[in-house]
Amino acid sequence: MIGLDVGSTAAKKVSIEDGKIEYQITGTHNWKDLITGIDGNDIISTGYFRNSVPHRASVTEITAAIYGVRHYFPDADVIVDIGGQDTKIIDVKKNNFIINDKCSAGTGAFLEFVANYFKIELKELGSFHSRAKRIPAINNTCAVFALSEMISQLVAGFTSEEVIAGMHYAFARRISFMVPDAQSLVLIGGTVKNKGMLSALKDILQTEILVPDEPQIVNALGALKYYC
Amino acid sequence: MPVQKKIGLTALVPPELIFACRCSPFDVNNVIPGSKKYPRNKLCAWTAIWQEMLSKREVELDSLIVVAGGDCHNALVDGQKVAMSGVPTHFFFYPFDGDPEYLESQLHKLVDFLGTIESPEKPGQIKELKKIGKKIDEKRAQGKLSSGDAFRIMISFSDLMGDLDVFREAIYSLKEQKVEMNNRVALIGVPPIYHDFHDVARSLDLQVVFDELPFEFLRHSGTDIHNIASDYCNYTFARPLDFRIRFLQKELEKRHIDGVIHYTQFACHHMLEDEIMRAKLDYPVLTIQGDLPGKTPEQIKLRLEAFREALERA
Repeated sequence: MIGLDVGSTAAKKVSIEDGKIEYQITGTHNWKDLITGIDGNDIISTGYFRNSVPHRASVTEITAAIYGVRHYFPDADVIVDIGGQDTKIIDVKKNNFIINDKCSAGTGAFLEFVANYFKIELKELGSFHSRAKRIPAINNTCAVFALSEMISQLVAGFTSEEVIAGMHYAFARRISFMVPDAQSLVLIGGTVKNKGMLSALKDILQTEILVPDEPQIVNALGALKYYC
Repeated sequence: MPVQKKIGLTALVPPELIFACRCSPFDVNNVIPGSKKYPRNKLCAWTAIWQEMLSKREVELDSLIVVAGGDCHNALVDGQKVAMSGVPTHFFFYPFDGDPEYLESQLHKLVDFLGTIESPEKPGQIKELKKIGKKIDEKRAQGKLSSGDAFRIMISFSDLMGDLDVFREAIYSLKEQKVEMNNRVALIGVPPIYHDFHDVARSLDLQVVFDELPFEFLRHSGTDIHNIASDYCNYTFARPLDFRIRFLQKELEKRHIDGVIHYTQFACHHMLEDEIMRAKLDYPVLTIQGDLPGKTPEQIKLRLEAFREALERA
C-alpha cells in the first residue's frame, strides 16, 4: 500500500517498508512514474489531483496533513502547509482550518514568480537570503504589487540578496495573519525547504516551529496512515 | 386591468408593500448566479452585475429600489450609477438601531415612490405564504426536503416570483423526499454566488439546514405599514452584529447544527465579520469566498470535502 500525493507542482509517493518511511518526489505531470507496477487498489491518494489518479480511497490534504504530522509530532497544535497554489492553516486542537488561495502572495507560486524574475532556481532563494546584509521593507501583500515594490528597492540600491530576504519577510508576515495563537507550529510543504523562508517565518511568528525531516512528503504519508 | 409596473429590488424590501401598490417586485439578484457577465469596474460581483445589466437595459424595469442603508454598502454607489443611467431609483434605508418609527417613515416614502396602496389585501396573503415558507424550512431541517429545493423556494420570498399565484404553484410543486442528515450545516452570510452550491454540498454529504438570508426573507411580514415596520425593523443584516449573532446562536441551536459555513463575497464588507463569527459561534466554521458567478469551483469543493472530514473527526 502506498500514499500518493499529487499536488499542484509536485507528486510524492510514500510507503512504509519494515517500519521505515520510503519516498519518491517528482513533478506533478510525471506522477505516473511513481506508480509503475502498482495496482490502483494499493493507492491512497491525496492532493489536488487525488480523484484524477488511480486510488482505493482518497482523502483531502487537510486530513492527510493531520495524520502525517501526527507521525512526527503527536502533540502538534497547529499545522501550516505552504503548498504550490495555496496555504493551509490547520488548527488541530480546534478541528478548524483556513485555506488561502484567492491570492498567490502566501503560496509557493509567489516564490516561483520571484525566482523567475531574478532568473534563478527556486532552490537558490534560501542561499541568496543568507547572504543579505540588510532587509528592506516590502509591505505589499499582493504578489504583483510586491514585485513592483521589490523593483523599487533594487532601484533604491538594495542587492538582489537583500530584496529576496525582504520578500521572504513579506511572505512570512502574510502567513502570520492567518495563524492562530499556539504553543508550537508544524510547518510542512515544499516551500519550507527554503531556509530563508524558514528563518523569516521563525522570526515573524515568534513561537516554537517544528519541521519534519522531509516536509514535502507529510501529506502522502498522512494519506497512507489515514487508511492503514 | 393596467399592466403592473415591474420594480427591481437590490435586497430585502418588504414585498408586501410592492404588491399592495399593485406593482410586481423583481429581485435583481435572481439573474446573477446564472449570469456569464464579466462586469467592468467591479468590487462585489453581485452588485456590479446588476448595475451593468440595469444600466444597459439588459433587464427591463420600470424603477429600482436600492437598499442603501443597513445592508449592502456597494449597492449605494452601484444604485446611483443605475439612477444616472435614467432608471427611476428610490433609496431605502433600514435603521441600524431597529427604530420602528424610522422604518415606518421609510415605508411611507416607499409607498409614495410606488404610487398608492391599491390592494391592501396582498400583505395578508403574503403572510399566509410566509407561514408555508416556515414549514418548508422546518421540513428541510427534519430531512423531508432536499436543501437545494427548499433553498430555491426560500430565496424567492424576496420577490415571490413577482406573482403570488405563480409562487404559490411553485411552493405546492415541491416534492418531499427522505434526506440522510449526516452533517447538518448552517450557511451564513450572503447567499453563495454559485447556482449549484446546495446540490454540490449535498453531493459531498453536507446538508444545509439553515440559510441565513433566505430565512430573513420569509421571517418578516405584516398586514399594514405599522406592523410591517415593527417586524422588518428586526431584519438582522441591518442591525448591529451582536443582535445578529444572538439571533444566529438561537437558530443554530434549534436546528442541531454540526458546523457553520460562512460564505463571503469578494470585496464585500461582510468579509470583515468572519473573525467575529468564528469567535462567537461555538461550532466548527468553514469560511469560503466567491467572486464571479457560475458553478461551484473545484477549490471550493475541496474545502467542503475537507470540512466534511473535519466534522466526521469531531
